[in-house]
Amino acid sequence: MVPWRDRAGRLSWLRMAVLAALAAPAAWVAWKYANGMLGARPANAAVREVGLWMIRFLFIALAVTPLREGLGWTRLLDVRRMIGVAAFVYGFAHITLYAAQESWKLGFVAAEIVRRIYLTIGFVGLVGLMVLAVTSTDGWQRRLRANWGRLHRTVYAIAILAVVHFFIQSKAQVSEPIFMMGLLVWLLAVRAWPRRARLGGVALALLGAGAAVLTALGEAGWYAFRLGVSPLMVLEANFRAQGFRPAWGVLIAAGIVLVLALVNTGWRRFRAARAAA
Amino acid sequence: MHYFRKRGWELGDGAATPEAVFRTRRQLVKALAAGPVLAAAPVLLTACDGKESSNAANGATASAADPSAHLYPVMRNLRYRVDGPLTEERHATTYNNFYEYGTSKYISQDAQQLRIRPWTVKIEGAVEKPFEIGIDDLLKKMPLEERVYRFRCVEAWGMTVPWSGFALKALVDLAKPLSKAKYVRMETFGDSSLAPGLRQPFFPWPYVEGLSMAEATNELSFIATGLYGKPIPKQNGAPLRLVAPWKYGFKNVKSIVRISFDEERPKTFWEKMGPAEYGFWANVNPEVAHPRWSQAHENVLGENRRAPTVIYNGYGEYVAGLYKGMENESLFK
Repeated sequence: MVPWRDRAGRLSWLRMAVLAALAAPAAWVAWKYANGMLGARPANAAVREVGLWMIRFLFIALAVTPLREGLGWTRLLDVRRMIGVAAFVYGFAHITLYAAQESWKLGFVAAEIVRRIYLTIGFVGLVGLMVLAVTSTDGWQRRLRANWGRLHRTVYAIAILAVVHFFIQSKAQVSEPIFMMGLLVWLLAVRAWPRRARLGGVALALLGAGAAVLTALGEAGWYAFRLGVSPLMVLEANFRAQGFRPAWGVLIAAGIVLVLALVNTGWRRFRAARAAA
Repeated sequence: MHYFRKRGWELGDGAATPEAVFRTRRQLVKALAAGPVLAAAPVLLTACDGKESSNAANGATASAADPSAHLYPVMRNLRYRVDGPLTEERHATTYNNFYEYGTSKYISQDAQQLRIRPWTVKIEGAVEKPFEIGIDDLLKKMPLEERVYRFRCVEAWGMTVPWSGFALKALVDLAKPLSKAKYVRMETFGDSSLAPGLRQPFFPWPYVEGLSMAEATNELSFIATGLYGKPIPKQNGAPLRLVAPWKYGFKNVKSIVRISFDEERPKTFWEKMGPAEYGFWANVNPEVAHPRWSQAHENVLGENRRAPTVIYNGYGEYVAGLYKGMENESLFK
């Protein structure tokens, strides 16, 4: 089975579009690398870009379930594994480029992974993701039966490891990893939402708003704990325009989901009304 | 204790063609071919004072309107030279840490908001008489020269660049510190209309760095006002910044507005940010790892290779003596 055909063997536009979207960042980074657009430390810049895409794709894969349940986009399930495998491929590229940055001194790379806790954390996450990528096939799904679901739920733990790795390596400013933690809280909250209570688009957005508030509090708490900065000052910074604010990032993501949900419901009602007429 | 191992590509001082001559070799050959050998003399003279680097193409050069532009290039002081190639100017001027403009390395465009005239530097603390001096007056008083130094960032990357400027010692002499002064504290501008990052509440602005008096008067300590034979670009710390090449780059405070001679050791920006990782002394040492990464090697800017890092960034013969009897201090973070 090739990735651009669905289970029935038909050409799938959704699959092709997703495949292209998954390959695009890698192509973009490779193109920039080849044309000397990655600056003074190209390998290091590539390590960072590819690592960021790894986390993004992992999060998008995790968002498939809430989007499917919240918005009724059932077809998304068909591409979830593909997105997850892509996250692993980007993770693998991330560590490979790190080795390239260190002039392929693999002994040194291995020693660093053991010595530096954030590298250890990232490496454990990557190995976990590799296991999930390998067992993502239909064959493994059959063989593992009920255990497959259990095994693949570790993806949430892996996402936490990935974000913690990102957080610890940040030097001073942690806006981006805090934003990612906020998103992760949202995704975990959606997961924890009781099955019986229907998870509509509005509920998704409300959980997102809650995650945004937690993000703001978490950020203020971090700077207070780490640097002794007044938490009120950091909270207040959310209401002044000054670069990227993590809580706003989470809130905007929740807003986008809310808009999608409203458009989705409107469209369904419209279709139902037309069918009735 | 330190010793020097030459890297494979390093030649002895006498064996290397001076960078300047290498860069102008075509002109040199033409001039020689043109006939009278004397015709080559102006080229050679030009080459020796560093003019060769003044017209490298790049997008982030200092503004032509800089009133100090006519001062550069200045004579290269060949006592301070580095065997091996210079870092390409475009890399040194587009890969910068300047948190006042954000935590990314690519702030060279944003840093153009910095207004560098009028610019005054306050000299205060334990000095005979505190005073303020405008940057252009200061430049007139100081003996300008060019020095090629290695630069080693704490983030495990390095470069080799030609700074123009003057020995910090000359400025210390101008300030006439009292004998009770033990440290020189240097401070970056804190005016948030010059840099939006200063409005971010979670950094302990302004940026503060410092040296002991012995370090500040060491011959290597340098105030850079130019780079690659031109006024120093804003992203590199215009109009004046510290360069202490045996220390990690974060010691080299940029865009200085205040220099004070203190009895107490100043608490630096990075000591406040992460005392476990960034200390006051911050001398380069490949054997003392940063808690989160090894310092044994450095990525060479623009070359996609790594090179071994050397203790005191290779300047041990000048500075190792400064730290005799200070073995209990954490000298290397």
